[in-house]
Amino acid sequence: MTRTETPAEERLREQLRPEKPFARFRWTVTILLAAAFAWSALTIDARWDRLAQIPERTWNFLGLLIQDASLGPLVIALEAMWESVAIAWVATLIGVVISFPLIFLASVNVANRWVVLVVRQVLNLFRAIPEIVLAIAFIPFFGLNPVTAAVAMGVSSIGTLGKLSAEIVEGIDRGPMEAVAASGGGWLAKLRWGVLPQAMPEIAAFWLYRFEINIRVSAVLGVLGIGGIGTFLTQAAQRNYYDRIGLGLLVVIVVTMLIDGASARLRRRIINGPPGELDQKREAAARVQISGDET
Amino acid sequence: MITFDKASVTYPGGVRALKDLSLTVGDGEFVVIVGLSGAGKSTMIRAVNGLVPLTSGSVTVNDWSVPELGRRQMRDLRAEVGMIFQAFNLVKRTTVLNNVLMGRLHRVPLWRSLLGAYAAGDRELAMQCLELVEIVEKAYVRASNLSGGQQQRVGIARALAQEPKVILADEPVASLDPPTSHVVMKYLQRINRELGITTLVNLHFLDLARMYADRVIGLREGELVFDGPGSDADESVFEDIYGRSLTADDVLEGQAQL
Ligand SMILES: Nc1ncnc2c1ncn2[C@@H]1O[C@H](COP(=O)(O)OP(=O)(O)OP(=O)(O)O)[C@@H](O)[C@H]1O
Ligand SMILES: [Mg+2]
Repeated sequence: MTRTETPAEERLREQLRPEKPFARFRWTVTILLAAAFAWSALTIDARWDRLAQIPERTWNFLGLLIQDASLGPLVIALEAMWESVAIAWVATLIGVVISFPLIFLASVNVANRWVVLVVRQVLNLFRAIPEIVLAIAFIPFFGLNPVTAAVAMGVSSIGTLGKLSAEIVEGIDRGPMEAVAASGGGWLAKLRWGVLPQAMPEIAAFWLYRFEINIRVSAVLGVLGIGGIGTFLTQAAQRNYYDRIGLGLLVVIVVTMLIDGASARLRRRIINGPPGELDQKREAAARVQISGDET
Repeated sequence: MITFDKASVTYPGGVRALKDLSLTVGDGEFVVIVGLSGAGKSTMIRAVNGLVPLTSGSVTVNDWSVPELGRRQMRDLRAEVGMIFQAFNLVKRTTVLNNVLMGRLHRVPLWRSLLGAYAAGDRELAMQCLELVEIVEKAYVRASNLSGGQQQRVGIARALAQEPKVILADEPVASLDPPTSHVVMKYLQRINRELGITTLVNLHFLDLARMYADRVIGLREGELVFDGPGSDADESVFEDIYGRSLTADDVLEGQAQL
């Protein structure tokens, strides 16, 4: 039995559903990762049988840590942690001050293409070298003291802050920049009013985030004996002062978490703007949805 | 006075967006440019302040020959030509007043604009511009908190703060609903009449064009196909400009009824 198609049916028939594309890239990556994992697990020559002993050993170790805990060294541990935080702060400041002008020279939408190419490479170089390698390299210049740690982390911070901030700047809306150009503003005016207001909250949030990272890194760098809680911990470990190790770890964890928490709040506030405004944005979004439903 | 003389623009991809355009816009005229999408309206408007460079021919704005200007002179010219954008192009994360003060960038010492430390006279002028578009009560509100129509009024105030001799508006109402579109067009018209600022507006709604234009310029594929008073631009003229019969999409009221 044949009947003529209605126009609606005809339109439906003409539409072709596409085949689901084969995700070759995703499969390749997955297989390579799995192979690499298997290969390293088989060849690493680890004594896997000892994995089973981890819970018991941990228990024993924890026992040692709190066995004869005393509050005596607490002040020393806190002072050492404070030094680590101070090192991280100085390093972040170095990173912020030096990376800030470089951001604009590293963004294709505000600077000359060739300048961007050169500045990007320098930033990549700074980022590529691990802080601990930089610190070892700087010991001959600054000696076994906190300045070495601060400068090493500062250099590394310039790299990350510069590159990530440049990516934020490259993602901004061109409109305001065009508006500045159309009103006869020069390059600096364009940066100040076309670029900065859009990118600044995210960039500042990155500064805080990098400070959080630097606190961890500065704790680790202390292992080199250049100051801070890391130095306190290595010395305690070398002398088998288990109570001090326990105390030191506790201080690291608590202080890091406190600062992370405060910093994360501050970042959220910076990005979202004043509290009332977020509500207004949500309301506006809700209004759009409601009016969308009506049509 | 703005004069196009055999002005042509060919974009890098090879698209000829403007072909040998010759016409003159007198001081204080209110001109609406119409044409299909891709007809070259934005290109024509942007050639006036040098945002789009000409490939050949010339554009002259009050004695400035745009293609011959150096970087410094180009900025001097742009300070005399205010621009209003379809997407408003406000800095959303700062106040309305700061946005309007951006119109002063060219007249203010660099250190003042970098620090945002504008002189009292500039602030007063910015406030007056906001008063002209009746939105001065929002001066200290963040631009992101305004509706589209309000943002476009701030865009107009910013252009006015330049104390311009010419205003260019590239589809100023395309992101707005019909009643708001009329509000914005009325402000543009009032500014043109009261301050005598030469105004070039791109529109694609023919009823808006006819309602507000002293003079309508029709473009098709980069060529001038109509130039006459708004009252002469009837439906057949628009069908000629558009190269097809008219639809509800071509009139603002048609949109309103959807
Ligand atoms: N930057 C560019 N590079 C290459 N081609 C462009 C560029 N800008 C515009 N064009 C092309 O030039 C032609 C004219 O564009 P123009 O933007 O002037 O049209 P319009 O009339 O403003 O259209 P609309 O109503 O869509 O804004 C179009 O074909 C467009 O694709
Ligand atoms: Mg356009």
